[in-house]
This record gives sequence, C-alpha cells and structure tokens, in this order.
Amino acid sequence: MALLQRPFFVLLLVLTHQFMQYWIAFGSVNEEGQKQEEEFNEELLLKPLPDRKVLAHFHFQSSAPPSTSNGRHHHIFPKAISQLVQKFRVKEMELSFTQGRWNYESWGGFDPIPSSNAKPPGVELWAVFDVPQHQIDASWQNLTHTLSGLFCASINFLESTTTYSAPEWSFPPASGNLRYGTLPREAVCTENLTPWLKLLPCRDKAGIAVLLDRPSIYRGFYHSQRLHLTSTGSGSEGMVSGIILEQTLTVVLQPNSQRAGMAYASERHIQPSWSLTSIFGKQVSGTCVLAKSSNVYLLLDRGLVAELEHLHKENEKSAENGFTSQNFWTKPSFELSADPDRIFIEENSLHSKGSSVLYKFQVEKYSESEPFDLSLTWKIPVVWLSQQAPLHASRFLMGSGNERGAIAISLKSTQLSEGFMGANADDERCDLQVNVFQVVPWYVKVYFHSLQVFVNQQPKAISDIIEKIHVSPSKDKVSPGVMEMVLKLPCKVNSAALTIEFDKGFLHIDEYPPDANQGFDIPSAIISFPNFHASMIFLKDDSVNKSPLLSKFQEKSPVMSYTEALLVPLTTPDFSMPYNVITITCTVFALYFGSLLNVLRRRVAEEERFLKEKAAKKTGRLSLLLSKLSAKLRGRQWEPPSSPPASSSFINAKLVFKVILVAGLAVGWQYFFS
Amino acid sequence: MAEISEAHDSDSSKSTDNASEAPTQPESEPEFNPKLMRKTKPGLKRLFLTFSVLFSFLLGLQFLWKSVEIYRSPLPFREIDSLSTQLGSDHLIFPLHFHALFVGFDSDPDRLRLSILSEITKLTSQNPKCSHNYTLSVTVDSGSHCLHSPTTSPHSCSYQCGSITAIDFDQNDDVAIDERLVPVFGGKTNEYSVVVVKGESERAVVGKNRRAWVVVGSGREVEIAVVKVAEVLVKVFVNGGREEGSIRNEFMPVGADGRIVLSFNLLNADPRDWVYDWDFRKIDNNLLAPMIEALGPVANISVESQVLYHTPKASFSYWDQQLQSYVFSTKDLPFFVNSNEWHLDTSIAAGGRSKILQFVVYVPSAKECPLLLQLPNGEISNTNGFISPMWGGVIVWNPQGCLKDDNKPTARRTIPMQDLENMFEVFTGQFRQLFGFKSVNIYAGASGVWNLLPSERGFTEWELDVLSRQHTCFNLHSCASTLGSLSRLVQSLPRMIIMDEIGKQVKFSLEAAKLAQSNASNGVYESSAASSRQARSLAEDAFFHPSIMSVSYYSFEHCFAVYSPFFLPVSMHVVLAALSERRRYRKEKSKYLAWKAKANAAS
Repeated sequence: MALLQRPFFVLLLVLTHQFMQYWIAFGSVNEEGQKQEEEFNEELLLKPLPDRKVLAHFHFQSSAPPSTSNGRHHHIFPKAISQLVQKFRVKEMELSFTQGRWNYESWGGFDPIPSSNAKPPGVELWAVFDVPQHQIDASWQNLTHTLSGLFCASINFLESTTTYSAPEWSFPPASGNLRYGTLPREAVCTENLTPWLKLLPCRDKAGIAVLLDRPSIYRGFYHSQRLHLTSTGSGSEGMVSGIILEQTLTVVLQPNSQRAGMAYASERHIQPSWSLTSIFGKQVSGTCVLAKSSNVYLLLDRGLVAELEHLHKENEKSAENGFTSQNFWTKPSFELSADPDRIFIEENSLHSKGSSVLYKFQVEKYSESEPFDLSLTWKIPVVWLSQQAPLHASRFLMGSGNERGAIAISLKSTQLSEGFMGANADDERCDLQVNVFQVVPWYVKVYFHSLQVFVNQQPKAISDIIEKIHVSPSKDKVSPGVMEMVLKLPCKVNSAALTIEFDKGFLHIDEYPPDANQGFDIPSAIISFPNFHASMIFLKDDSVNKSPLLSKFQEKSPVMSYTEALLVPLTTPDFSMPYNVITITCTVFALYFGSLLNVLRRRVAEEERFLKEKAAKKTGRLSLLLSKLSAKLRGRQWEPPSSPPASSSFINAKLVFKVILVAGLAVGWQYFFS
Repeated sequence: MAEISEAHDSDSSKSTDNASEAPTQPESEPEFNPKLMRKTKPGLKRLFLTFSVLFSFLLGLQFLWKSVEIYRSPLPFREIDSLSTQLGSDHLIFPLHFHALFVGFDSDPDRLRLSILSEITKLTSQNPKCSHNYTLSVTVDSGSHCLHSPTTSPHSCSYQCGSITAIDFDQNDDVAIDERLVPVFGGKTNEYSVVVVKGESERAVVGKNRRAWVVVGSGREVEIAVVKVAEVLVKVFVNGGREEGSIRNEFMPVGADGRIVLSFNLLNADPRDWVYDWDFRKIDNNLLAPMIEALGPVANISVESQVLYHTPKASFSYWDQQLQSYVFSTKDLPFFVNSNEWHLDTSIAAGGRSKILQFVVYVPSAKECPLLLQLPNGEISNTNGFISPMWGGVIVWNPQGCLKDDNKPTARRTIPMQDLENMFEVFTGQFRQLFGFKSVNIYAGASGVWNLLPSERGFTEWELDVLSRQHTCFNLHSCASTLGSLSRLVQSLPRMIIMDEIGKQVKFSLEAAKLAQSNASNGVYESSAASSRQARSLAEDAFFHPSIMSVSYYSFEHCFAVYSPFFLPVSMHVVLAALSERRRYRKEKSKYLAWKAKANAAS
C-alpha cells in the first residue's frame, strides 16, 4: 500500500459544560499534492471471559478522506453510507442491533469494549446533525426511514416523536443537535447482518469476516452489531467532509468444551480451551486484499493477568531450582497455537491490579494453504474476575396492580474498584459523579416530585445528592419524558437507589401494539461515570497508532453502562369490546322499540276473545306435553284437555314460513355480496 | 290491563276499531254473519300509527346513509376520458418544417415539391401514437436566380440566394461542410434542411445540426435526389434513423420524476487475482459531462460510481482453443448478471422514482481471463459488451495479457486511460441504444447509405429533437393511461376515501398535459417535454398517493356489523307491524263493505 503520507492524530480538547471530551480528528498532510485514499482495516479481538466464555469483537473501519466527490464516486468506501451522510448532513451517528444482555457482573464493565460496545437489547440509534435547529426533526425522520430500508429493520418506528428524545447533556456526545431513540423489542437476525456486511468491501468472502458463520454467531449469549460513523471536518473550501465508518460486531460465545469426557469436580474451574474453528467453525484463510491492515488480537484482561502472575510466582517458589528467570510472557500458563507477532503490555500507571496484555497476530502471513486458526489451551485452572465499573446499576419496577408503580434504579458498589477509588479518596471531600439518563414513554406518567434518593439505605435530601437535574416532562401522545441527572455520591458509598413513582396511562384502542398483553417496554437507562475513563494505554508505538482498534482503546471515553429494559404491564382492554357494547345496546334498544310498537297497536279485547276461542278449540302438541310435564311435577294425575287436539298445521305453516323467510334473506344477502 | 278489559266489557260497541263485532249483536238483521261482516267502519288510528313509524324510519335511513357517507373528492372523470380519447385519436401532432435546397439544378420547384411529397407519403408509416404534421418548401438555386415553392412559404426566406455553391461540397471534410451550412440556413431555425448538389464523389451525409446534404452524380440525378431527400427527411430526421422493432419506440429509460441516475460500477470478480481501480472523476468531467448537458431538456442526469469486489458472474464460460480465450455465448447472457453477488445498490441520493441505469465494467478473474462474448453467428463481439433494456449495460474488460503479478497481487492497479476512453465510447453507444438510437454512424436506407456525423456530445441536435418528441409522446400517453386507471379504480371502489390532494394532483396533471399538448402542436419541443414530464409525475403521484395505497377505507361490511344489531330487529318489527295492520284493515274493510252491500240490498 503505497501511501505517501500517513495520517497523524491531533487531539482536540473540547470543553463542553463540565465534561472533557476527546475527539480524534484525522488530519492530513498533503505532502506531494497527492490525494488521500480511501482505506479499510479489519481487526478481530478475542478475549477469554471469567465464566468460561469467549468474547469476539470484530472491528472493521472504512474511511473516506475529504474530497469533492464524496457521495458520488467511491472506490472502497460504501457509496450508500456516504450518500446518507451527504443527504441528511449527519455529523455523527451510531446504530446498534443487539440481542441478549451484556452481563456486567461477570464480563466486566470497565474496559473500552463493554463501555462502548455493550448496548441495550433491540435497536439503539442516535445521531448528531449538522443542520439548523428546526430541521433536525425532519432530518431524523428521513434518516430513520432510510436506515430501515438499508438494514431491513423497523427503524422507521423511531420516526414518531413519541419514540425519540433530545438529551441535553447527559448522553456522552452531548450536543444540542442530538436525537436518541431505542426500540427495545426489535428482533435481530441475519437479515440485519447481511446488509451490514454488504458495506464491507470484501463482505464475508475473504478476510476476517469469513469467520462470521451465522449459526455460530446467533447461538451465542450476546450479539451486538454496531455501526458508528463520524464525518470529519472538510479539508478546504468546496470539499465534502470525510467520513470514518466503524463497524463492530461483538459476540460472546461458549466454546465447545473439548474435554467433554472429563467429569472432575474441578473441571468447572478449568477454563475451556478453544480455537477459532471450535467457536466459529471456520478459519481465516488470508486477508481481505483491500484491507490496509488485517490483525487478530488476543487480550488478557487485568484480572486474569494479575492472577496468572500470582500463580507464576507460586510456581517459581515451589520449584525454585527449575526455571531461570525468563521473561514471564514467553512461558505463560497456557499455550497458543501460533506465535504472536507482537506483545503489547498496557502502561500501568493508575491501576494497581496489573496491566492487560495484548498479543498481536498478523493475518497477512497466512494463506489458503496454511490457514490461520488460533487456539488457546489452558495448562492450569485459573479463576479471575473482570474489572467492574465503580457502581453496578440495575433497575426494577416496584408496586403492583394496573394503576401505579415505581421505577427504582439501584447502584451497588463493586468491591473491586474500591482500591482504585481509594487512590482518589485522599482528600476529605471525595465525590463519585454519576450521570443518569432515562427516557420514559408518555403512557408511563412519571411524577418527578416523587423522586427519592437513598444512600446506604438511608433517605437523603435530593439537593444533597443531585447536583444537576434536567427534566422534560412527557406530553401525551407527543413526546416521551426525559430525565437527566448528575449525582454526586460519596466515594465510600455502598449502595444508592433512586425511586420515582408513576401512573400508568390509558391508550386509545388503536394505539395498542399487537400483542399488547405482553407489556410495554421502558428503554434502558444509561448510567455513566464521567470521572472514570475506559481506556487502555499501550506503549506509544507506530503500530498502535496504525491500528484503528487500538487507537479506539486509547481514547478516553467515560465508563458507561446500560440498565435492563423494563416491561410494564398496562391495562389492556378487551379489543372486541366495542362490538360487544354496540351489540348489547342495540339489542336493548331494539327490544324497547319493538315492545313499545307492539303495545301501541295492541287490541286487547280482540286478542282475549281470540285466545278464548283457541283454547276452546285446541291445544298444540307442545302445550299438551307441557301440561303433562307440569302435572307430573305437581304430582297430580294428568287429565287430557277437554277438547280433542285440532291440527296444528296453522302454527307449523307459520313457523315454516318464518324459517324460509330468514333463510331466503340470508341466501339473498350472500348472493348479493359475493 | 284489567282496566282495559273492563272497558272492553262495558264499552265494546263504541270502540271504533274493535275488530269484529261483539257477540251482543242485535238479532234484528238475520243475515248478519260476524265472521264475514261488520257494521262499523274499520278504524284508521293504528294503521296511521304504524305507517307513520315506518315512514319516519325510512326518512331516518336517509340521514343515516348521509352520516356514514365517506369523503370523496370529485375527480374530473370526463376530462380524463377526453384526454385519453384525444390522445388515442391522434390529436398530438408535432409540426415539422422541411426545406429541400437544390443547388445547381434548374428544374421546376413545384414539380420537385410534389414528387418529394409523394415519396414522403409512401415512406411515412402510421405511428399509432404520435403523428407529425409536416410542411415542405423547395428552393432551386440555379446559380443566377432562385425559385421557391410554395412561393410564400415563411420558412424558405431564411436562405439567401447563391450563398452556397457546389464547390463548397467538393472538399472531403464533412465536419467543415456541416459548419459551413450553419450560417446559410440561419443558426436558430427549427427546420430540417437537405441540400442537393451535383458533384463527382457521390455521398450522403447527415450533419449534427438538422442539416443533411446529398452529392449526386450526373445522370438521373433528380429522381435519385428526390427519393434520397424524402428518405432522409422521414427516416432520419423524423424517426431518428432507428429501425422498426429494434426496441419498442415508446421505451424511455427516464424516471417518472424526469431523472436518470447513471450508476457506473467496476466489478473485480476476484480481487485475490488482481485489483483494478479507475480514475472516474476524470472520465466524469471529460467524457460524461457534455453528454449530460446535451440531454438536459429530456432528463436530469446524475452520475455515480463505485468499485465492487468479489463479484463473480453467475454463469460459466468455456475455453476455446482456437481463440486462446474463454468464450461466453449469447444464449447465456441472461445469466451473466449475478444479482446475488453484485450489490449494485439503488442510490440513496436519488429520489424515489428516478430511473437508475447500471453500467458495469466486469474484470474477470484469472481463472477466466481473457473472457470474450460470442455473438449468435459465432463471431466475437467487438465491444465485448451487451445491454439490457431499461436496466443498463455491461462491458467485459480483460486486463492486458491477463498476467497475474504473483509478487504483489494485492497492489491496486489502475485501468489505463486509453482503455477507459474506449470503454466509455462503448458506454455512450450503449446509452444511445438504451434510448433506441443506433450505436453506429451509418444509416443504411433503401436508397443508399447515409453517413451520420457523430456529435462529441453523444447526441446530435436532430436526435435530441427526436428524443424530445418521443419523450413528450410517451409521457402524455403514460399520463393518460395512469389517470385512466385511477379513474377506473376510483369508480370501481365506491367506498374508498379520496383525499382532496389527489383531486388537486389530478387537476394539475390534466392542466400540465393540456399545456404540453398545445406546446407540442406549436412546435416548442423543450417546454412541451418539460410539462409532459410534470403531467406524468403528477399523475403517478396521484395514483401512488399513500391514502389510496392503504386498505383502511371504510368497508360496507364494517357499516353493516355496527348498525345491524339495531336496525335489523327494529325494522323487522316495524315492517311486520305495518304489513299486518294493512292486511287487517283490508279484511275489516271488506267485511264492512259486505255488510253495507247487504244492508243496502236489504233496505
């Protein structure tokens, strides 16, 4: 790849409100007047997880430099995305499709991967637009329709104003032009993955993406496919801004245990050995030729490394005479099938726990005849814990019945981060800042005055804990309620909880979704910790800067976690009720009307005479039976009526006539309308 | 009830409408039979009551009917019908002015004019859709003086007598002659002129600017000239030199909103063998921009390009030892385009109803290189490409020598500029073919071969005229048929809601169609093309209006389900009551009449 110049990074410090945000801008130096070219990079990160699972994180990045022909002529960059950015003036956008829930407790919550790739279930979309304030909503609505066509998903349901909101400052890329919406119930499957793969130049025909075998991916415990695009500032006048498109796919898979025969009790502690073939059923047979770089990384997180170091030391003690003090990382307690091309060790300045280690494998060295199939075999049992976010957030519903309830967000301190917080807790007044962003649909009517805060199970005054709050109440059938809060909790906090009460609203009959009895979703709340940054700093090196994945890791993004999505049961009507009501009212009216009419035209005297005559003449067969029956019931002997029964042919003829009339009407009706 | 029965006992004789007489009838009249006669007139009270209820019920039905009526904007059905009948009975006539100039002849212009006219009528085929109304003027320039026919033609006056001579046509540079003719006939006129001169080298050339010239040798020059002139006028200038039945004439690859997106795709079948790239921006600026500008009046064209990888073709080719190449035969062409792997997406930048034409450069993989397309007659295609009407075109481009660079297979190479230019010449030809023109510059007619001067813009002026006329004609017919279907649909579904907006769109569409018709008959092609396009797009808008597409119209079944629980039992009561009252009244009346007759007879 003969690129005559190299992009270098300019770190821009942007101060917005209280937050420091780091944006990475790609600048270009036009050394010899030659244009920058479109680029594509593919990377895969594998990481063993404490609960015998494996995380696979695919990272594909395409970039288009600023140019006059963006949106019209492209070589590697997907034309559709570029046209989308030009048409809707999107400054930044992220779309994620997720199935399953990221298990923050066992998979960790502090690394760059969970804090930027753990997403709420369903679809999440946010976008920042570069248009005047009054056009944002229109752009958003058009964007949702385009995306739903592009990704075969019902993103167009985010068009209605009741489904999206405009966070002011609590959502990390905070800006006035931001719109945020989620669809918690969207099912994610291959039809969403295929259009996503179509944006890659090699699709899943070559390179790392070959591993994306649909059955193995969707068998996993967590699956999140994300598309993030940033338009970088335009280079000069008349140039259309460049675009960086970042596509990630994060899956958590359970490797097939290769030692199924062993049934030791200790087997639960032995991490399963795995290889690419055993988790994906495929191997990498070469790179995508269009990729500038194509790497596979294996990441051992801080907890695991600390544990391994500990074990290693113990081993050395017990067998003191054996080893000469070799480099620890060349003789680890596990075996890799391929030799890593490089080993990065995290610069450990802040964390006492140890530093994570990254093995790099270059796929370029492998070919079809010698495919790349990384496998990891554990030699000793290891147990470790992933690093957690300072507070573990969970959210649940309180109360019962169909009328009212309460939402509670509970934050529990994770023991692991205590040491880290201790470093900060030197001075007396140590605060832990927590941002909460919560969107509530309009039919869940939240009473903001009922907000209560508990710290260490003690109720606290709101003004002591909440430093800043922004509430935009919901409007019925127009907009959802948004609550943004900044909490200042003491560092030594063990647990904190927020509760807020709500009434359940009533919907119009045609506003209920299909299967309304399932309940209504309240989207996940976002809890972020702006003072904690999920970043991994590796030794400054060219190869680190070249890799988009690693440079992503070095960005200082705040630690973020999503709570569970809630399911609120609302009162659902019987949907056939309108017809029932109509029918019963009409029947009552008809009865009333008919009897009134009958009374009006009644001739009492004549009827009586007629009845007398009839009684004198005959009794029908039915009345005969009835009188027999009643006589039996009374216990008397039945005496036949005095007059001999005349023929009841008159009544029968009338009955037959009526039946024929009704049948004729029905036949006529059927005939007329068929 | 008790009271009533008492009243009956005491008061039965007074009660007017008590049915048959009580058995306490005086025995004075011996023939009186209470079963068949009565003495009092039957009462009207209950009859009146039941009938008034029935009538108020019927009156109420009208209000009910009104209240469940749905809104339907009135559509001008009659005008829609008249538009389609007008277009059907060729009211769309384009006026054309022909001018034939004979230099160095001294024949009678009137006689020449008549013979040309008769030739023209022989050649004119009856186009069922759009017809032309032509006027012909003939000028004979004998060097010293000019003779005009008809003498007062307003179109022949642009020619100044003696401004060209036969010497002008001696040179072989046709482009220069074409340039020379522009000032002669006045630069801006819309008439089509043919110049006939005598000369040594016989040839027939059609220029770029609505001019043609014939050089005839000595001999029966006048007769040949007349046939040739008639042919060039009818077959080339009017019909665009296309053959009947090549592509259906009314096919226009223009979207309903008058836009075309040309999407150019470079497909690398297997990038593991080689990766080719192109400098499309240069092509766009140099080669495509003039053509797009020229086609401006017909369509609004935008250009996009992308490079795709891993895109094998869908069918196999076979190795031909003789040609030392892989051959793909014509009968497999429908399977060349691989719609699974070629994701030539529709453009997001284009609007909803734009026409997207895909042009594909296919770079075969090393396994099938060089790849050649074979014509049905066994020859190898010169262009190595094909078109698919209304879809676009494909060209197979084989890399030079098909040499795989084993050292650096991943290096991206660029297609040489010379090859690109050749490719885009083929694309221009394909584009012309998609519009129905020929891709070669020769028109072989019955009377001889005409050499057509190609324009550097892809389309010559007279070709653009043909396109404009055809576009107007196509748009107006499609507008009329869309509106006709709409009116049929609306009339067949009497309970469909029709929004005001649809009514408005239909109205504007009709207005635009009328404007286009009048512009067309005045010979203003460009504006008639524009307003016909507008008429068509409005008609399509009305037809595809979301409120029509939805099925949420208020069905009669729904109405029935809501109202029948009340009206069915009540109307049963009312109607039956009315019927029985009426029957009873008749019976009683006949009884009364019978008694009266008897009484009369008795007295």
